[in-house]
Amino acid sequence: MKHFDEFSRPEEYISPFDRHFRHVIRTYLEKEVVPYRRKYDEDWKGHLLIEPAFDKLMGELGLQKSLFPQEHGGWGLANSDYVFRVAYMLCEELGRADTGMAVALAVTFWPLLVIMVEPHVNDRLIKEFAPMFCNTKKAVFAANAMTEPQGGSDIENMGLLGGRTIRTSARLDGDEWVINGHKLWPTNSGGVSRLFGVPCTTKAGSNDTNDFAFIYVPADLPGVTQGGAYEKAGMAADKNGDIWFEDVRVPSWYRAHGPGKDADAFYQLIPFGQVASCAFLTGAMLNLYERLYEFVSTRTYNNRPLKENDAIAAIIGRIAGDIDICRILGHEAAMIGDRRNKPYGRPLTSEDVVGRVRNIKDFVSDRAVDCFGKGMDILGHYGADRDWDIEKHWRDIKMVQLWMGGKQLCQMEAARYFFNCETL
Amino acid sequence: MNRNVDELFVYPKQWMDEESRSVAALVRQWADREIISKRMEYRENYAALFPEKRKKLCLDIGLQRLTLPVEHGGFGWSGIANTPGILTILCEIGRADAAVAAIAAVKYAILATISLDHNRDRKLCETLAPLYAGDDLRTPALILPGAGMSGQESPLFRGRALLAGVHSVKGGYAVSGTNLRPLFGGHLADLFCVVCEGGKEGPCIAFVPGDAAGVERGPQILTTGLNACVNADVTFHDVLIPKENVIKGDAAVEELYVWLNLLLGGVSTGAGTNFFEILSDWSETRVIKGRTMLKENPLCASVLADVAEEIALAKLLLYDLAELITRPEEWSNGNHKRVFTYASMIGSRVQQSVTRAINRGLELMGSAGYAKEWHAEKHWRDVKTIGSILCGVAAEAPVKMDTARFFYNCTEI
Repeated sequence: MKHFDEFSRPEEYISPFDRHFRHVIRTYLEKEVVPYRRKYDEDWKGHLLIEPAFDKLMGELGLQKSLFPQEHGGWGLANSDYVFRVAYMLCEELGRADTGMAVALAVTFWPLLVIMVEPHVNDRLIKEFAPMFCNTKKAVFAANAMTEPQGGSDIENMGLLGGRTIRTSARLDGDEWVINGHKLWPTNSGGVSRLFGVPCTTKAGSNDTNDFAFIYVPADLPGVTQGGAYEKAGMAADKNGDIWFEDVRVPSWYRAHGPGKDADAFYQLIPFGQVASCAFLTGAMLNLYERLYEFVSTRTYNNRPLKENDAIAAIIGRIAGDIDICRILGHEAAMIGDRRNKPYGRPLTSEDVVGRVRNIKDFVSDRAVDCFGKGMDILGHYGADRDWDIEKHWRDIKMVQLWMGGKQLCQMEAARYFFNCETL
Repeated sequence: MNRNVDELFVYPKQWMDEESRSVAALVRQWADREIISKRMEYRENYAALFPEKRKKLCLDIGLQRLTLPVEHGGFGWSGIANTPGILTILCEIGRADAAVAAIAAVKYAILATISLDHNRDRKLCETLAPLYAGDDLRTPALILPGAGMSGQESPLFRGRALLAGVHSVKGGYAVSGTNLRPLFGGHLADLFCVVCEGGKEGPCIAFVPGDAAGVERGPQILTTGLNACVNADVTFHDVLIPKENVIKGDAAVEELYVWLNLLLGGVSTGAGTNFFEILSDWSETRVIKGRTMLKENPLCASVLADVAEEIALAKLLLYDLAELITRPEEWSNGNHKRVFTYASMIGSRVQQSVTRAINRGLELMGSAGYAKEWHAEKHWRDVKTIGSILCGVAAEAPVKMDTARFFYNCTEI
């Protein structure tokens, strides 16, 4: 194999966007991100290095407007037949450079998808928010403010809990929603976002999805308070913090779709998030291969290059094999999403799609964690060394395994689907 | 956590005498009072507090001279019968901070090659003991064989490249080597213990004072964990050392590895034990699905069990290794290759076990485990750093080769 691009991907799945767009993104990242990423950890609080890179990528290159329809200044990707596959390609390239940056960018799309993907499109809200993202050369972030202190990832377990554990409340007062609650850990919190998508309940303790609401809250409204960014093991380009909503008032039409439909549109985010996660992971794994290739070719055991020793070759062979398989699976996950409107496809909110995609993400996460751990051990004395990049990915990708309900929720969703479990 | 970890993670306490238990209790007290109960303060002022806490442990409590013979001003834990005690001390320090413990582990491993009753090198003890029995905080660093460079034929120690060398000069030896990577602490070190190519007699261990002429340190290296043990590559430009600063022979190097595997295993197991405590506390305060306490969910309970199992078994293995070192006549009939092989196998397995335990635990803790606030992620980074560094190069492959050589008499691998 001559290049990491030769790791398998089903060619018939590749979108027409891929070749040119991938080249543009990769060129940009190799110039603006890769040379500086080793310094990102120390930049976690101020984002003095990270912010200019985001401005170029999201603002100047224009990625932040890619979902919006062309009539509002966007690229119209949200309703293309290959939105999942384009997202996969983008997230894979970003993940190869820096998974923290990848998630910060991808999560900006997340709350917007709730109102942009058929059959759940809200033209009025699209028109309302398009200028925020499309009429600027500066990076603009959005966040999905889901997780709450008492419930962890329960909110993502909609299939079972139907929003029963959500404590953030929305009360209709005239033509305004009044929102109260406390969220923590959203990507792009910590003072970064200009817009929040807020899952909340109109009736505390209800598991009726009609009582679930998804409401947009601009970050600069009175009553919105954001805490500082948490200090974490990695993912420095992604800020996370607390958000408090105290009697925050937004127009009633800032609710995404209304009773019942909000839950359905929100649940669509699960496959999007899981497919993006797979792409972050396989992107990072491609970079693992690149860095590992250099090490095992130039360093020796028993005076032979590491890669020429049978025992070591078995380890690195397994790593490369895992990368190959994970990349195929990741593309399959993206294709499951893009089949949503086909006669042979399934809706994004179906148990079939959620179960399969979560299963793939769980598998790819496990393999990535294992491969990076092994990669560090191959480097031995140099495994923990920032200069070899592998340890940074090792720290970063662990978070990908943990988020969105983590491993256990993936396992439960898979069991529910494959074994028809009813009480998990 | 309202339960005693000693009652949960058992080991044969009859292998510890009363004095060992008292010292271990003292170190536990230091760990709890100085670090574990003040995690936030310690983390936020790590650079300043790290040397301060080390001083308290090494100088005020006196652990710096713990393993030195009494006649050289030490506490006298210089017999192999003290091995379980030393291991316990490392576990206790590791429970508080793996970085403090890692430096202690390297120090004890180095001193074990010159100061134990069975291998005492009186001249070296006379040189080094006054430093380690004195009032200044000492930080040694260890340079082991590792990866060689393609295109260069390196002398080898069991397949690993010896990148430093000594040669005889008038009045002693000259040590040379370029961009050598210490395990950790290279930037801080006042003494380098270097496994070198020693000519006809095979590998040797050279003791190089950190302030000797010709010692050049590179810039500080940022690493995944153990960042307080600031590391730097080191170059020796024909550094002159006295003749007595060199110990020759395979056996000395093997003994160094034996101690390192044992003691760094103790450090990681200690860190894993504290991770268990953190996870245990966390699992009692979290509910899932709105009503079930996390630890009462069967899936979560099975993950919690994985964590406990890995740490408990790692600890038992380590004490078996300590016992093997303590009673060589019963376990190995004086066969140091056997001890070396068992130490390598157990050392590797213990690091993998603790790493897996923390990885599994983090899966449950989710974001909380990843945030520095909960102090779990530091153990994760520190233990992974130790594990990667200890294997030297090529993951488990060199240990597998050592094992195959011993059990199957392989001669060409």
